[in-house]
Amino acid sequence: MGTLNPLWFFMKKSMTVALFGITISDRYATVYSLTGTSMSPTFTTSSPGFPGYLKGDIVLVEKFCLEKYKFSRGDVIAFKSPSDHKREFVKRLIALPGDSMQIPDTSDILKIPEGHCWVEGDNKEFSLDSRHFGPIPLGLVQGRVTHIIWPPQRISKVERKVAMERVRST
Amino acid sequence: MGKWSTMWLFTKKSVTGALIGLTISDRYGFIVPVTGSSMHPTFSACDARFPGYLKADVVLVEKFCLEKYKFSHGDVITFKSPTDHKQNFVKRLIALPGDWVQVPESSEILKIPEGHCWVEGDNAACSLDSRSFGFVPLGLIQGRVTHVIWPPQRISQVERKKAIERISPH
Repeated sequence: MGTLNPLWFFMKKSMTVALFGITISDRYATVYSLTGTSMSPTFTTSSPGFPGYLKGDIVLVEKFCLEKYKFSRGDVIAFKSPSDHKREFVKRLIALPGDSMQIPDTSDILKIPEGHCWVEGDNKEFSLDSRHFGPIPLGLVQGRVTHIIWPPQRISKVERKVAMERVRST
Repeated sequence: MGKWSTMWLFTKKSVTGALIGLTISDRYGFIVPVTGSSMHPTFSACDARFPGYLKADVVLVEKFCLEKYKFSHGDVITFKSPTDHKQNFVKRLIALPGDWVQVPESSEILKIPEGHCWVEGDNAACSLDSRSFGFVPLGLIQGRVTHVIWPPQRISQVERKKAIERISPH
């Protein structure tokens, strides 16, 4: 009887903390470990395999922006890939619905359809982004990357970079 | 002193209950009233006014299917609208990635691209669906509708209806 009570107490506390953690990570903010080179040099990533994972940037992703879908051009966002729903990508938001933008390396002007946005990686040569899969529905966005929180020498805020020469807003 | 500890206990229980409720509704299943007539007669919707809301069908949406994205042809699913990320639609899943679907009212045959699906409302005359906004990325899906749980005379399981004459799986 004596040993059961502290065990039950410990379990209740752990479950409450776990629930708190899950709810916060689902709805408010979470951390991602980044892979791939499409956002170099904004983010540096690791090689797969231990201890490679520890060398990659770990970023803070906030989900408050999803409540009212308040995004700004130049934000770095995380979204589900339109061609593979099991994968998430991290890219920079270039244009919002209604914007007219110039498609890179062409002289075409594209109007971003309602409910969609245009994303590109900072490292153009190695990035699979809207130049390949077109504008993405805003419903696929999972959050906004605000800070790098690991490794310690790279702890910093992620800056907005607006491509003013290519995007005209309505 | 007695009042405070009772209030504190009540607050703790309420917060834990709310956390459990949020976690379940984010990850496992939730209930939602259906509006609009695009899924008639599978669902009957209401007028958009009180007490109209009480007359609408209320359905159970399960999210277990999202874990492995196990969907079947003919499931009724809910998803974020590709043209307005703040709206959720309920439609029937007609075709999955790689399928060939015959577009209604035309002789076009389309191949469903990877990571996307084709949805249509049961009430074809009043439904805004893939015939208007095209393929829907699977990443926009929020869950599968399994049961009608209100009003009591309409409590039932939602059946799968396959449109076999119009699709050819790969």
